Amino acid sequence: MRPAISPRTSTRSPLADVLSGWPPPVFDPAGPAAGSIATLGWVLLAMAAVVTAVVLFFVYVALWGRPGTREKLGGTKIIWLAGIAFPVVVLTFLLIYGLTLTRSLTAPITGNEMRVRVVGEMWWWRVAYLDPQGRAVILDANELHIPVGRPVVLELSSNDVIHSFWVPRLSGKLDMIPGRRNLMRIQADRPGVYGGQCAEYCGGPHALMGFAVIAHTPENFARWRTQRLGLKAAAVSSDQAAVSSGEANRGRQLFRSAGCAACHRIGGTDANGLAGPDLTHVASRRTLGAGILPNNRGTLIGWIGNSQAIKPGNRMPPYSVLSGDELTALAVYLETLK
Amino acid sequence: MTSETGFDTRLYDNFPTREERPQGELEELERIWRAPTGWGRLTIVNNNYVGLWYVAAAFLFFLLAGVLALAMRVQLALPLNGILPQETYNQFFTMHGTVMMFLFAVPAVEALGVMLLPQMLAARDLPFPRLSAYAFWAYLVGGLCFFASLFFGLAPNGGWFMYPPLTSMAYSPGINADFWLLGIGFIEISAIAGAIEIIVGVLRTRAPGMSLDKMPIFAWAMLVFACMIVIAFPAVILGTLLLEFERAFNWSFFDPTRGGDPLLWQHLFWFFGHPEVYIIFLPAAALVSTMVAGLAKTPLVGHNLIVLAFLATGFISFGVWSHHMFATGMPRLSVGFFSAASTAVSVPAGIQVFSWIATFAAGTPRYNTPTLFVIGGLVTFVIGGLTGVMVAMVPFDWQAHDTHFIVAHLHYVLIGGMVFPLFAAFYFWIGMTSRRALSERLGKWSFWLMFAGMQITFLPMHLTGLMGMLRRVYTYLPGRSWEVTNMISTVGAFILAAGVVVFLIDLARNFRFTVEDDAGNVYGGGTLEWLPTGLYSTRSIPVIRSRYPLWDDPELCKIVEEGRYLLPNSATGRRETIVTSPLRAEPEYLQIMPGPSVWPLLAAVFTAGFFVILTIQAYTPALISGVLAVLAVIRWLWETDRPVAAQHADVGGGIMLPTYVTGPRTHGWWAMVILLIVIAMILLMSVFSYLYLYGIHPSFWRSPPDNLWLLPILSGYALAAGLPLLARGLLKREKTTLWTPPVLMFVAAVALVVAVALEFRSWRSIGLDPQLSGQAAMIYAFLSLQGTMTAISMLMTGYLMARNARGLIVRPHNNTFDLTTMFVVYSAAQGGFIAALTHLFPGAV
Amino acid sequence: MRTWAYLLGGLVVWTVHFFGLYIFGSVFPQTTLARILSGLLTLAALAADAILLWRAGTASMAQAGREELGRWTDYLAALSAAISLIAVFWQGLPVLIA
Repeated sequence: MRPAISPRTSTRSPLADVLSGWPPPVFDPAGPAAGSIATLGWVLLAMAAVVTAVVLFFVYVALWGRPGTREKLGGTKIIWLAGIAFPVVVLTFLLIYGLTLTRSLTAPITGNEMRVRVVGEMWWWRVAYLDPQGRAVILDANELHIPVGRPVVLELSSNDVIHSFWVPRLSGKLDMIPGRRNLMRIQADRPGVYGGQCAEYCGGPHALMGFAVIAHTPENFARWRTQRLGLKAAAVSSDQAAVSSGEANRGRQLFRSAGCAACHRIGGTDANGLAGPDLTHVASRRTLGAGILPNNRGTLIGWIGNSQAIKPGNRMPPYSVLSGDELTALAVYLETLK
Repeated sequence: MTSETGFDTRLYDNFPTREERPQGELEELERIWRAPTGWGRLTIVNNNYVGLWYVAAAFLFFLLAGVLALAMRVQLALPLNGILPQETYNQFFTMHGTVMMFLFAVPAVEALGVMLLPQMLAARDLPFPRLSAYAFWAYLVGGLCFFASLFFGLAPNGGWFMYPPLTSMAYSPGINADFWLLGIGFIEISAIAGAIEIIVGVLRTRAPGMSLDKMPIFAWAMLVFACMIVIAFPAVILGTLLLEFERAFNWSFFDPTRGGDPLLWQHLFWFFGHPEVYIIFLPAAALVSTMVAGLAKTPLVGHNLIVLAFLATGFISFGVWSHHMFATGMPRLSVGFFSAASTAVSVPAGIQVFSWIATFAAGTPRYNTPTLFVIGGLVTFVIGGLTGVMVAMVPFDWQAHDTHFIVAHLHYVLIGGMVFPLFAAFYFWIGMTSRRALSERLGKWSFWLMFAGMQITFLPMHLTGLMGMLRRVYTYLPGRSWEVTNMISTVGAFILAAGVVVFLIDLARNFRFTVEDDAGNVYGGGTLEWLPTGLYSTRSIPVIRSRYPLWDDPELCKIVEEGRYLLPNSATGRRETIVTSPLRAEPEYLQIMPGPSVWPLLAAVFTAGFFVILTIQAYTPALISGVLAVLAVIRWLWETDRPVAAQHADVGGGIMLPTYVTGPRTHGWWAMVILLIVIAMILLMSVFSYLYLYGIHPSFWRSPPDNLWLLPILSGYALAAGLPLLARGLLKREKTTLWTPPVLMFVAAVALVVAVALEFRSWRSIGLDPQLSGQAAMIYAFLSLQGTMTAISMLMTGYLMARNARGLIVRPHNNTFDLTTMFVVYSAAQGGFIAALTHLFPGAV
Repeated sequence: MRTWAYLLGGLVVWTVHFFGLYIFGSVFPQTTLARILSGLLTLAALAADAILLWRAGTASMAQAGREELGRWTDYLAALSAAISLIAVFWQGLPVLIA
């Protein structure tokens, strides 16, 4: 099957391409957890480099060294010193470092943090923001909005197979396992968009199961939250606004008649399907198809028409019965759902 | 001198014997050990042939899985590449991992064991040549069928680790997953068979005088390797059984909504899966140790430390399985334990690396192909080991886990630790089995291409991983800066492949199979495999007085060839070898060995057939194939365990050895003990699973039936345990009528049937349903295990009666009788234990 | 059997210690009890290893009139106790800092 999206031809030189990937996300932390792991990573890398160099040196001496030097190397003393004593000392320090860091990264959850439930689905992410009583107050998909400078606790679980939640610039990964609930604390220090991807092989299009964490300044986050919390009113109004445009109105009716509502929910309307991602604010998302396409009218049309060509194996059937006009109308309608 | 068996070690001083051997002995040896020709070759059981076939088959799977890797590298060369569709890619990476681990790596080292061990120990052959042949054929036929599933699009696609629930019926409804589960079944059987062969071989067929401290390093590694298989494989055997039960009968082991847990699979899989890495690495490391000494022409520096490293690895590698599960959210304290063990397991590796360096420094290494492969492997392995230390640190693992960083790490370890040593071994030992040595010129080309290709492929892959690219992805999106490193890796993969092709050319040009006039000791090794050999192995079996007998006694080859050591002829006119004691290798008895036979081949074909046909759900043909396999095994055994006319045989130098012994000294007894340990490990893993599921989901558990049930059940098992012991006692007594002991054995087996049926009834009486709870599913699994043991007990005791009818159960002692006794008594004990555990714990909840 | 038990003594101590810790950590997860039990077991295992190391070590030093295999066995037993000592020590660290 030919992919519908062709590889982008880069106008940059290959060197620039590599350099643009530097530093790699794991070493470009944007939160305290990823930050301390990056430090550990540098220490470990340095250790690995030094030891490799030392071993290469010994190999060189063993093969090409002067007879006297080789003779000194050719006994059990070197095994005791370089093969046992040295590793034991180094490893003891590293182990203590690793354990201490593990301890601080898994410090008990206080319970005062903002909580978000993230559920892995084949092959997208169901997101629910919880109030202090643990009720879901905002529903969303494939994007996670957080305030900077504040720890947020994620309740990770799965409805089908094992997935794994990973945003390299914010934290290490934690599995989402059916029948279990894993807690993870993330925190971003700077506003920005941090990409993530499912890290546990979950069949079919596992490769195309991305998401994004969007960190806002506290003020922006508060604004965002207020807007979403007033969701019914907002959604209704946005839905009402759609009436004003004839094409959007047609799309809204198509959404109902083509059966989209069987799987998708749009807050404030009678579209209540829970099998697929919540579309209440689909137009405000940065991407489509769980982090794989930019979100615009063209990609919306392409996705609805035949998402199987873009992300083979995903659970959404192709809607080839719809005409080009009908797909456009649907897309125009969805674009109104800010 | 202290003695282990009462053997008078002063007899060793009679060797080499002074008088000339009579004419015709060598010709007789050749006649007795001659291999069949034509189609009869298929019935060969001799290690010279089977070992080589085994190595060749493993190498074939290496090439096949390598081709899959190349296809995957092409797909990943560009973002959103369309060479391999998603489903095909998912099958490819699953098969690449599975074939490399199960069909290449483990069989390859096992094969080298079968090929080299008898020579290194100066035994005529390993103690169970037919078992080796069976293990080989089951592996080859089953492996080829398994691989062929790719051509029908039916290959497994759940990853080589097969995590449920992705691989459960709900998410993998096709038979692809069953191909994995049943396909691995015969490989497990073949590996266990090989392990039994190797343990008994190393401990009991060493040349006289080769006490533990003089044992070749490769034999040490193979001993630890085989013991690790015995401990580790039962976990995956149980895991595959449970997952297949869940898929076929909907028993709930891994489904959290019905009292199962997906992590149970991960524990069982990795309890096998990580030791597996060392199972592969240890023999390869020992090949390196052997070669380093040979190539540098000096004894291995730190021999004892390396033995310690093997033993320590053998233990500590069983404490690291959960480091594959750091990201599952385990309790912090447990995570710490596994992190510490993962750190500890790197110390033995350091010992070996520096021992090799020291040996090179102490000796006179030359610039030749095996040396290059050894050093290339060493450097590569060190880098892999260091990234291993990195991921043993839990927080770093949370970042690196399941990314291409891990792909790079594991390939560094496995290619550096196993593949390069294997190629070095090909060059080093080819002279044992080929008329011509391989080409140094092509060999160096092959090495440099492979070494460069390896580094070019996998060094940038570390970076790809740190840049966030995950494993097991069939494609990736453009614009993430992953393009360049991926393209480099793909180019590197083809360079690596070019190196392998050069090696194949070298093989085609220079490899000419032979047993007699081989190219010999090209690189000047000092261990016994370089004694002049024929199919009968060495002409006479030397008394061993040092670790490098060939170096320490330049005359050795000549004297051995003149027949002036032990067993210079066939003492009984049959194939035979000397069985020695485990610590000091003192001669104990002469084992009469079986010769060529078609039955191991047929048994293997039908065993593989059973599993493959079962996968495609043709139950009747599968059953027929299974029954035929059992019949073939019985037929093969029928010829064994028959005393020869001469009770004692003269093996030279005034040493007389018995030709038929019974009891705990026999190789058969040892093999049965090891088999029972395997079964006991399966039981132990089941007990772990049972307790684990109780710990996770106690709310699904219900009270057992009335404890009164235990009375008849345990009585039945007590009877089944007592009768065989009684029967064995009766066998000793002259007055016993011919039939009583075997009939008593059969009654014991019937008691087993009754007890297991009662146990089943007891659980049915409270309506236990294995589809509804993890507890019920585990109890059914226990009963299935016990049922299987009972069925085998029935078969064995029936076989015993049949042999008795033909007068083959000799009095007062008989090996067949002993082994059946052990099996039935163990089965009874296991049944009693299972009944007590499931009824009494957790009891009334 | 006795020879093997002696030879592998240190590693057997490691095994008992490791699986003991695993059992404590699993049966009483996230509790101080697990920590206390693990700590006590660690001390016991360290002591056992130290005794083994001392006995096997001194035995292997005493060279006079010993035959090769016996001395070799003592040496290997001492080594396995030594490596076990290190591994058990590392294994005990999480009790203090994890």
